[in-house]
Amino acid sequence: MRIGLRGRFVAFVSAIVIAFGVVLTALAVRVQNDRLRHELTERGKLLTTVVATHVTDPLALLDVRQLRYLMNETLEQENVLGAVVFDEDGRVLTDGTVENPSRHLLIDEAARKHVAVSDALLVEFSGDVMTVTKPVYLGGGLLGGVRLRYSRAGLDEDQAVLARKTALVGAVFAFLGVLAAALLTEAVTRPLKEVIEATRAVSEGKQVPTLQVRTADEVGELAAAFNEMTRRLRETTVSRDYLDRVLETMGECLVVTRRDGTMTRVNRSACALAGAPENELVGRHCGELFRAPRGYASLFHALTPDGSVHGLETELFSSTGEEFPVLVSISTMDEFEGKSKGYVIVAADISERLRIERQKEEFVTMIHHEVRTPLTAVRGAIGLLDGGVGGDLGETGRELVANALRNSKRMERLVNDILVSRKLDSGHMAFHIQEVELMPVVEQAIETTSAYGAQHEVRFGLDETVPGARMQVDPDRLIQVLTNVLSNAVRFSSAGDVVKVRVSRHHEFLRVTVADSGPGIAEEFRDQVFEPFARADEAEWRHRSGTGLGMSISKAIIEELGGAINFETEVGAGTTFHIDIPESE
Amino acid sequence: MIRSGRLAAAFIGALLIAVMACGHRADERTAPDSISTPAPSGVLTFGSVSLNPVGEHEVFRPFVDYVVSRLGDVNIGKGRIIVVDSISKMVEELDQGRVDVYIDSPFPVAFVWERADIDLLVRRWKRGSDTYRSVVFTRADSGVESVADLTGKMIAFGEPFSTSGFLMPKAALASTGVRLDNYEDAAASVPSDRVGYVFSNDAENTLFWVLKGKVDAGAVNEDYFKGLAGSRISELKVILTTDAVPRNLVCVCRSLDPQVRDALREVLMAMDKNEEGRTALSGFEETKKFDRCPGGPERQLADIVGLMHYVDEDIGQ
Repeated sequence: MRIGLRGRFVAFVSAIVIAFGVVLTALAVRVQNDRLRHELTERGKLLTTVVATHVTDPLALLDVRQLRYLMNETLEQENVLGAVVFDEDGRVLTDGTVENPSRHLLIDEAARKHVAVSDALLVEFSGDVMTVTKPVYLGGGLLGGVRLRYSRAGLDEDQAVLARKTALVGAVFAFLGVLAAALLTEAVTRPLKEVIEATRAVSEGKQVPTLQVRTADEVGELAAAFNEMTRRLRETTVSRDYLDRVLETMGECLVVTRRDGTMTRVNRSACALAGAPENELVGRHCGELFRAPRGYASLFHALTPDGSVHGLETELFSSTGEEFPVLVSISTMDEFEGKSKGYVIVAADISERLRIERQKEEFVTMIHHEVRTPLTAVRGAIGLLDGGVGGDLGETGRELVANALRNSKRMERLVNDILVSRKLDSGHMAFHIQEVELMPVVEQAIETTSAYGAQHEVRFGLDETVPGARMQVDPDRLIQVLTNVLSNAVRFSSAGDVVKVRVSRHHEFLRVTVADSGPGIAEEFRDQVFEPFARADEAEWRHRSGTGLGMSISKAIIEELGGAINFETEVGAGTTFHIDIPESE
Repeated sequence: MIRSGRLAAAFIGALLIAVMACGHRADERTAPDSISTPAPSGVLTFGSVSLNPVGEHEVFRPFVDYVVSRLGDVNIGKGRIIVVDSISKMVEELDQGRVDVYIDSPFPVAFVWERADIDLLVRRWKRGSDTYRSVVFTRADSGVESVADLTGKMIAFGEPFSTSGFLMPKAALASTGVRLDNYEDAAASVPSDRVGYVFSNDAENTLFWVLKGKVDAGAVNEDYFKGLAGSRISELKVILTTDAVPRNLVCVCRSLDPQVRDALREVLMAMDKNEEGRTALSGFEETKKFDRCPGGPERQLADIVGLMHYVDEDIGQ
């Protein structure tokens, strides 16, 4: 049987109280015993003295009958066990009875010796009997004396009464002690109980009340410490309520399953998308809600060895029969020792995104067919005009044609960039990877851009090279990137400036560095450098700006090639771009 | 106060009626039976001589109640006890017809018998004895060898109306020619031709007075003597033992209805035959039984009557 703190405390305090009561009772009995013994002794002395006074005359007259009467009356006194009158020789004259069996018997020798020399009381104790002897003298002569025996049975009886009373008091004391112990225990354990209940509330995720700090003792400290703990918990820990609110308000669908895929929880978004309330979904297998991703037998077959998978596209079945495209992430909830407890599935409805994607596709297709094709025809026609196919156009006509040719080329670049960017975004860009030497690629890119640089009176200076360095790239795409970066450098350089190009090894990468001494990139624009259609806002350079897609395309290509592109810039001092590409082993 | 006064008056009235009813003579209640049997209403009065009337009542009451409860057939329904403090008064009570039954030792009975109109009914075995006698004793070292040596000396008797403690030994001593004089003080000087006597009023007193030399001799019931002397009996010497006399006698007034008398005798003599009766007898001074006087009533009193003149004066006081 488990005895709680309260029970132990009550038992402990009760034991102390009862032990105290027992000791007190024992002491009281002992004191009372001493007092009773003393009282009995004094009472015996007094009664014996009084009797001795009364027997003096009849003893002097040897009136044994009167002595018998007196002794008979004495025998009726409380606690008197026996009473005799004896003569000067110590022989009993009468014991108060008619039969008088003690007649002529000698009293105790010690008593005889005592009465022979003293008229004082002689008190003797023997077992439960107290004997008091009082010599009777008259005119200096010994007449005899009285000898009374007192029973301690009366004392025992008194003690029994006392013991009963004391036991009763002790019982009341014990009862009050137990009651006091219970109250004390209640006072002590109530705060503990409150702490226990509050702790249980914490464990069950319920609202935790602030405990009252009633006392300044250890219990009060415990309550205060608990309050502090719960306060910190509230501050530093995401409570289940909070988490529930988050999960319920999150836009993505949340599905929690057991190890076997049975759904144990779904959030509001999941219910909304599935078109079913939570109670209809919980308990069903998640396979009834999600289609197995393409190439997998089920959602969980797509899990990587680390127990998770992200960005998995599949469909969510609605109760209405619709299927919603979702992007699924799955995480395994581990309990201990790697045993799976369940899975958390987060699914984002990507219907809108796919719709936009489709619109983009349609737009690109439209650009490709409705813009690029006619534009090619336009540029061809203008080129023919510029080439004189249409005869002499005159000065003004040539200028107009040249202008039209420039703008048509520019428009062609824009369209091409858009198409490239889209291809990169959609992953449809084709890369023809091959191992090539870097330096020829760099030199070709410089050469390709030299005409553009010359146009702006900007030269390229190849300061440092890494001969023989090779890499696995699509050389055309790399040249596209380098050309874009070099053109960009030219675009922001002043006439007469030299764009410095360096090729070096940087860790396991081959680094191509392109540095201009242009105006640098404004701080607020630096984060947008690789964003599509990002262009510096300075009016001075606007006339030199490109389509705004070049850097974003460059970044996408380099990253597809396993490299990285970044820059360093200082306003007024220029910008340096670093293109890192993994070197072949 | 008025209410309590009325209650007191009513109580006293009821008490007087009860006393008057109790005062009727037994023979007045012995009328022939009527057709129906009424509750016995006659009263039988027992008389005794004692200086302790309360104690005497306590001794007599269970016995009287028992006896009366057996006398319903003779219309006795109640027993009454009258205690007087002298034999002379008892004679008077008997003469006046106020006492129906008188129980006492032989000497007082003989005294009354000579003076009142009574008949001996039965003998009483008081304290288990049918007869008793007295002894006169002295200290063994007193030098008194016979009654004659008591002259000039002091002897202690018990109570003045005690047969064994006084009347019988005094009569016995006197019958030997010794002349006895009564003294108040045991230390009084006794003429050399006389024997002085004092009353110790208690057999145990008598014993110790002799042992302590307060008196020269003492007289007690022979039955008591050995018990009293106990281990010190060797210190004592008996110089006279009286003749045996009946232990106790039951007399009835001659005027008592013969039917009641006969019924009473039968009841008394049958008491030791049943448990209830034995219990009543035991409480009545350890009486063993009642029986007929051997040789007839007169025979029982004849010897005593011959000694009565030695103690007439003492008994009549």
